[in-house]
Amino acid sequence: MNDGEIQIEGGAPASSEESMPEGIVLNPHAQVCLQHLLRVWLGFERDLSKVPLLRRIDLGTYTAEDHQVFLRNLRQQVIEGSRWITRTASSFDRNHSEIRSTIISHAVDEHRDYEMLEKDYVASGGQLEDILNMEKNIGSEALHGFLMHRSSRTNPIDLLGAMWIIEGLGEKMAHSWAERIQELTGLTEDSTRFMTYHGHNDSEHMQRFYATLDSVCVNEEAIKSIVKTAKVVARLYRLQLEEVEYDVQ
Amino acid sequence: MSVYITSTGSFLPGPPIAVDQVENVLGAVHGKPSSLRVQIQKANMIETRHYAIDEQQQTTHSNTEMATNAAEQCLDRAFITREKVGMLAVASTQGDLPAPGMASMVQAELELPEIEILTTHGICSSSIMALKAAWNSLRLEEHEAALVLSSELASRLLKKQRYEAATTSTFAAKRIDFSTEFLRWMLSDGAGALLLQNKPAPKGLSLRIDWIRGFSHAHALPTCMSVGSAGRPDDARTWQDYDTYAQAEQDGALLLRQDVRLLDNLMRMGVDGYLRLVEEGVSKPSEVDHFLCHYSSHHFRNKILEMLHTAGVGIPEERWWTNLYTRGNTGAASLFIMLDEFLRTDEVSVKVGDKVLCFVPESGRFNTTYLQLTVVNE
Repeated sequence: MNDGEIQIEGGAPASSEESMPEGIVLNPHAQVCLQHLLRVWLGFERDLSKVPLLRRIDLGTYTAEDHQVFLRNLRQQVIEGSRWITRTASSFDRNHSEIRSTIISHAVDEHRDYEMLEKDYVASGGQLEDILNMEKNIGSEALHGFLMHRSSRTNPIDLLGAMWIIEGLGEKMAHSWAERIQELTGLTEDSTRFMTYHGHNDSEHMQRFYATLDSVCVNEEAIKSIVKTAKVVARLYRLQLEEVEYDVQ
Repeated sequence: MSVYITSTGSFLPGPPIAVDQVENVLGAVHGKPSSLRVQIQKANMIETRHYAIDEQQQTTHSNTEMATNAAEQCLDRAFITREKVGMLAVASTQGDLPAPGMASMVQAELELPEIEILTTHGICSSSIMALKAAWNSLRLEEHEAALVLSSELASRLLKKQRYEAATTSTFAAKRIDFSTEFLRWMLSDGAGALLLQNKPAPKGLSLRIDWIRGFSHAHALPTCMSVGSAGRPDDARTWQDYDTYAQAEQDGALLLRQDVRLLDNLMRMGVDGYLRLVEEGVSKPSEVDHFLCHYSSHHFRNKILEMLHTAGVGIPEERWWTNLYTRGNTGAASLFIMLDEFLRTDEVSVKVGDKVLCFVPESGRFNTTYLQLTVVNE
């Protein structure tokens, strides 16, 4: 553990404190939506502790082999992630061109992330062909199927709920898991670059998220659909992590 | 049936101990000053605290005595005679005796005849469990008045002899064992008392109990703060599974541990419970005039709090109040000691009608408890 730096009662170290971006005042519907999204996230995050593979990070028994299993099972979702994001962009009509721009630029940023993940896998001691030959696990199938379905609908604002969960997890990987995994496994940072990378520009991502939420979440119906999609994605993402396949096929 | 806190009391043993004196009281393990003390004290920002042990680590007040002293002060300030007290609920992480329950021992000291008793076991939130049970007893009209006490004597677990005896423990094996030392520089001793009645006090301010709620997350999260195991992931034995207690002590199974890595979950689950109460319409953030939190605001300054503000449910920092920095972190006793001072301090103006939201999180296995009080007069 990081004995040299105390983090107590959840307080972030002073140096990493990020102040609230100035001038963001959400409309009342977006505020309520954010309250619900926070709860969906916190429940998701707590329940990740029950996933056997991730429990070992908490308990300190996670191994380099576990890390390979994790990466092997994550890759398909990352590949498919760029597909549903680009489809989401194309499903927004001309009245939502601002959102479309935001999503397109996000997709450009991340659509080849899986290549980084493959390199991490090799750095962790895995064989490249093993990760390349890996199929989607049962949970990844369900998650991807759901996201492609939702993103094919016109103006799928509910996918903001999906982004909330998936971005949140990226941040958690970067801030809570990457360093801990290195400590536990003796692997170097070469093995966790995909995880670490997702911690960059967090506050910028949040600002973009708030701005989008404020513009699309303007009634009860929007709150409901965003929150429901967040809940489904949280559940299916956890399923994906519960259904990790250990054996290389 | 409304129930009111009509009197409070507290007891803090001995003089206030400053940060640089703490190790003189708890003792330097093997005569060597701790390399973690300053760092941990700096992080918790507690300036003074109290101990019921002296500089030779001899107990000056038992846990029962401290609880009794707080109770006596509370009863002295009350407008009813002690014969009216029908129930005594006592909370502590560890009474003087593992058995019987601490309430029996305190009842004897207070000489309260033939009352109903309850001892709650846990860590910080055990006080809220006791309070809730007593509140419910009054709501069911089984009693007119109940005395609720919380008392902690953590220093007996934290004195140098405990660590010196743990010769085969992780503490002895590692140069620095953060999880074993963390609470040593955090916790201290004290007791608090609340008198509950079915009507407000005839004079002065009373606190009506609006609601008490708790959410425990032990079903999902690992143990974070504990006594009783050696703190090794692959060793499932608890202290009574060793052949002798001496072996359990040597192995460090009697040391108090905190898995600091898991602590982030406490704040997260605290926020989750708060949002749940907001969602259910139980708690209305805009109506909260005072927020009394078992932990201090500086521990919470992070992104999630900012998100609460963005989501329109943050509680402005000027409404937070605590005496943690001067009275110490007394675990289960903290909130009662805080309420006792809150009603008397000049630091904050308390008016009739004010809503007081209290939050007591317990890191043990993540139990988060909340209550709301309304300031009333008769």
